[in-house]
Amino acid sequence: MTAPRRLRKELGDLQDNTLKSFRDIKADDENLLRWTGLIVPDNPPYNKGAFRIEINFPAEYPFKPPKINFKTRIYHPNIDEKGQVCLPIISTENWKPATRTEQVVQALIALINDPEPEHPLRAELAEEFLKDRKKFVKNAEDYTKKHSEKRPAD
Amino acid sequence: MSGGSGEEREQPRQTSPLPGVSSSASTSASTGPGGRATPEMKRSAVRSLIQRYFHQLQSGCGNAACTNDNCASSGKVAPMTPNEVAARALQLFSQDAQLCESLGQAEAEASHSVAPVSVISTLDIDMLSPNDSSSSSNSSSSSSNSSTSTITSASTTTTTSTQSQSVPAPKSVSVPGPSASSSARATPPAAAPITSSASSSGACTTNLSEVKSLEASCLISLYEECVKKDSYDKLYQAVGDVFSCVERLSRSFVRTPDTEEEEEPPAASQPLFPAKPAEPLNKEQLRTLEGEHDKDEDSTQQAGAVANTDTAAAAAVEPDLENDDDAGPEDVDDEDVPMEPAPKCESKAEPLDPSMSSDTLVDFDGLRRVQRLLFASKSRTVTDKLTSSVIQLADWIHYMRRYTPDWEKVVHCLVICFDLATNTNNMDYLDRVLPKLCLAAASMSVKAQARLARIWAAHCSDQLQTLVSSCQQQITLQVLLDEESVRENEHIKCVTKVLKIVFYANILASELERPSCRVSADELAESAASTSADGVPPEEDLFLYNQVMHPHMPKFAEDQMEKALKVSAIDCRKPLVPLEEFYNEALSENIQMHHDYLSYKSLAMESEVGSSHSTYFSFMLYAFILTPATKVDALYYDSRMRMYSERYSTLYSIINNFGQDGQDAQHRPDLKLTVRRDQLINDALVGLELVAMSNPKDLKKQLVVEFVGEQGIDEGGVSKEFFQLIVEEIFNPAFGMFVQQEETNNMWFNATPFENGAQFTLIGIIIGLAIYNNVILAVNFPMVVYRKLLGYRGTFCDLRDYSPTLYTSLKSMLDFEGQNMEEAFDQTFKISYSNVFGEMVEHELVPQGQEVLVGQHNKQLFVDLYADFLLNKNIQQQFNSFRKGFEMVTDESPLKLLFRPEEIEMLVCGSREFDFVELEHSTEYDSGYTEETQIIQDFWKIVHAMPNESKRKLLEFTTGSARVPVGGLKCLRLLITRHGPDSDRLPTSHTCFNVLLLPEYSSKEKLEERLLKAINYSKGFGML
Repeated sequence: MTAPRRLRKELGDLQDNTLKSFRDIKADDENLLRWTGLIVPDNPPYNKGAFRIEINFPAEYPFKPPKINFKTRIYHPNIDEKGQVCLPIISTENWKPATRTEQVVQALIALINDPEPEHPLRAELAEEFLKDRKKFVKNAEDYTKKHSEKRPAD
Repeated sequence: MSGGSGEEREQPRQTSPLPGVSSSASTSASTGPGGRATPEMKRSAVRSLIQRYFHQLQSGCGNAACTNDNCASSGKVAPMTPNEVAARALQLFSQDAQLCESLGQAEAEASHSVAPVSVISTLDIDMLSPNDSSSSSNSSSSSSNSSTSTITSASTTTTTSTQSQSVPAPKSVSVPGPSASSSARATPPAAAPITSSASSSGACTTNLSEVKSLEASCLISLYEECVKKDSYDKLYQAVGDVFSCVERLSRSFVRTPDTEEEEEPPAASQPLFPAKPAEPLNKEQLRTLEGEHDKDEDSTQQAGAVANTDTAAAAAVEPDLENDDDAGPEDVDDEDVPMEPAPKCESKAEPLDPSMSSDTLVDFDGLRRVQRLLFASKSRTVTDKLTSSVIQLADWIHYMRRYTPDWEKVVHCLVICFDLATNTNNMDYLDRVLPKLCLAAASMSVKAQARLARIWAAHCSDQLQTLVSSCQQQITLQVLLDEESVRENEHIKCVTKVLKIVFYANILASELERPSCRVSADELAESAASTSADGVPPEEDLFLYNQVMHPHMPKFAEDQMEKALKVSAIDCRKPLVPLEEFYNEALSENIQMHHDYLSYKSLAMESEVGSSHSTYFSFMLYAFILTPATKVDALYYDSRMRMYSERYSTLYSIINNFGQDGQDAQHRPDLKLTVRRDQLINDALVGLELVAMSNPKDLKKQLVVEFVGEQGIDEGGVSKEFFQLIVEEIFNPAFGMFVQQEETNNMWFNATPFENGAQFTLIGIIIGLAIYNNVILAVNFPMVVYRKLLGYRGTFCDLRDYSPTLYTSLKSMLDFEGQNMEEAFDQTFKISYSNVFGEMVEHELVPQGQEVLVGQHNKQLFVDLYADFLLNKNIQQQFNSFRKGFEMVTDESPLKLLFRPEEIEMLVCGSREFDFVELEHSTEYDSGYTEETQIIQDFWKIVHAMPNESKRKLLEFTTGSARVPVGGLKCLRLLITRHGPDSDRLPTSHTCFNVLLLPEYSSKEKLEERLLKAINYSKGFGML
């Protein structure tokens, strides 16, 4: 199965210039429209682990936006229990076909490092984040230790 | 020109104080030209006298030393209201009271005396006589000679005019006191001063002379002059002169080309007026007496003379002008258009058919600057004059329609007059003038109307909204005044015609898709051919249907305007004025569609016979004004007519063949389908195939459905259920014919179907039948499907509704400005999409598309090809089968004439909003219930509190369809009937009649519980 030229190129580019916070990028052998990768955040409380995500590209890519899913569970106001994430840059209203996957991933990493409690998917976490930051950080750290993948050794 | 254009004008006034005025007027009349129109002359003479009295009472003669008791200048007249003044004037007239002679009065009289009647008639004449316009000063003087002599025996007058002709200004004074007062009104000495003042007051002093054209600037200076003098007579006269005559108005408010502006206009206009300063007043006077004499003849002459002598430059221009529009006989008059050389440039730049142009010479800026002067409260008489003049003008145009006047000039005038209307809120002008203007515009040739539409579109797009609403107001008003016979009301017809011009102007003014997305007939045939060639082999195509593939619009129903303008409402995605605003509710409600449908049929019959169809008028040819609900009525009558005629001919053949064997299916008076519930699609397919193959016309019979093993007479309810079930099944994505689009929930053709074309034809037939049998279906097509059904091709714009994300993405690609587009997008002309199994399929938009990168130079091509692929090519085979089925049912109906794609969608699916308040208001009750009954009140309380989903279910339960019919829920005519006293029975319904049977439950709670149970478990048995 072939992939659109653009996707192949983007995959190649991402694999060549490795980002510090996004590693281990692979396209599904069966389906080049499905990629996986590992998010390695810098900021506490998530800097104790790594998170596997899946990026699904529609057949019409780049004319329809990709979708991102967390395969690793994460304690984060903007990511729900099913791993769905709400990222403005890939919402159908905001999507621009010139947007590169790398930009999308950068936006995702920024969101992980700095949660946006104003637009939460999990309202209770957002509230905790705003009202009791200490408790939130503790919970998130515990959760990260318990569920996340090991950070790759540099 | 026997009656002669009164060349002898000069101011009468002088003699008028004589008590003998009225009698002399009648004398002159009787001695008038060949005894022509004596009563009219008399009348106008009388009128002018009365007006003079009026004026004298109101404004005075201007002479400070005046001693006349009945002159305001003497200070002896008590202040009066205009009405009182008028009464007093009448009185004075009957007493032959004294009349002063004065400057102001003279002017006033001149203008006043142009009685509407006389002007109209004079105009008529001059437009009819082409030769009057040769316009050398020689001929003019001679003609004036003859004319004067015919009019009165006062030879003095003749000399006057002749002299005045050759020697312009104060010459007229030379005729001292013509004895016969009103007829031979000679120049009063007063005339001289006027003239001088006129010439002294600069450029555009149009005062005394007959005003031949007006520009914004001269109107303003005239106004200022009038303000200074506190007497609006000059303005009054100028307005009256210009606005009542096509010739003159068509020369007025002409845009000045920026380059030539400096000196030309003043040079041209200055001489124009002073040249014949003293005469015109007299001329006016004479004309009054003459009644129907040619007015324009002389004006032409004068102007011609002026033009010849004064503006050589202008003269040089004229040939161009005339070549350009030599349609009307009056054209020659163009010579005296001394204006700027603007037309020259125009005509050179535009050698094409001028009627195709949207250029106009109308100086809108100037016009709008002066319009507030014209309607200023201070100059009320001027406004009145304007109103009456424009009415004359419009009447004239209407009257002249058969003599093919120069429409170009008429258009110029109408543009001016309509612009005045849309920019003022002067009720009088609007109420009285607009109807006349509409009459005039409606009587123009199609070409001229198209021209008007172009001008409006190009220059007055900001006025369209106002135009629409004023047309609508007129129609509504007329409808309210005359509910019984709206279809015969000429006025309504005219305004409707004008509204059509506005309608097309509105479309032209909006952003259009170019080239038009209409699929030409050839292409249609071609695509049909290619389908059967590379698609299903013909013998396998069970619905082989070799009749016309695309709808034939009856010839008479073709819109000439649409043709002339080469535009169609469908080309316009976002009309400037929403097309809904063209609906007229009042008219639609009172139109009695069956009568209008008969007119439509008469037109159709006439066009078949080949006779002209001027006598019939059908609003169906002006479908934009009809609300969808009314158009549905038209469609309903059409399909009923067809059903009955099919039924009739079947009965006839049954009787004929009585006793012979083989009364097979095609001899039924209706279209009967017998289906099994578990084999619904197959049975329907086979049944309809049979009909379509043996006799496609049977599809137009009334549909009667029978479910095997179930009793029930199909009064509509059973076929409703049939439609609903079959649609549910066919559109089920699991069935494989259609896919549901994730983003919009719309259904779209499966590009890789497992079924052959027959199923698609079937669904086409079903949708056609649903429209034909007035059933609403729960289908969710994107709008582009309906556009395609109407013969248009899907284009990029259609993606907006097909897939908003795709649309915005492609749009942002088009908007991308950078030169590095190839790198930024890395997009080739190979695209991919996922098929029904979720697999990715690739497609090259051009041969070797994967080698071609999208860049700035070809991005538009890419986007267009992409859209074309998704919306047309990729589903062409399926769609053609689908359309074929649709056409089989609807090919003869006026569907395409009446409905726009959005409206067809409404027809098929009903509108999408629930207004249960509307439903409550239109609901009726029976068997003991009234709207006062407690349970009914409870019922509505419960219903209004329901969530939308339950409302939808209730709707489905009572009517068999979850969609709102076209025209809203009020069109359902729900009937709630008492179904016995309190019991445990559930509510039931008769879906074909929209009846809800409600037992009189003992409490509101019980009602709610029972009702919810009924609507939630209705499927399969709830419907009766």
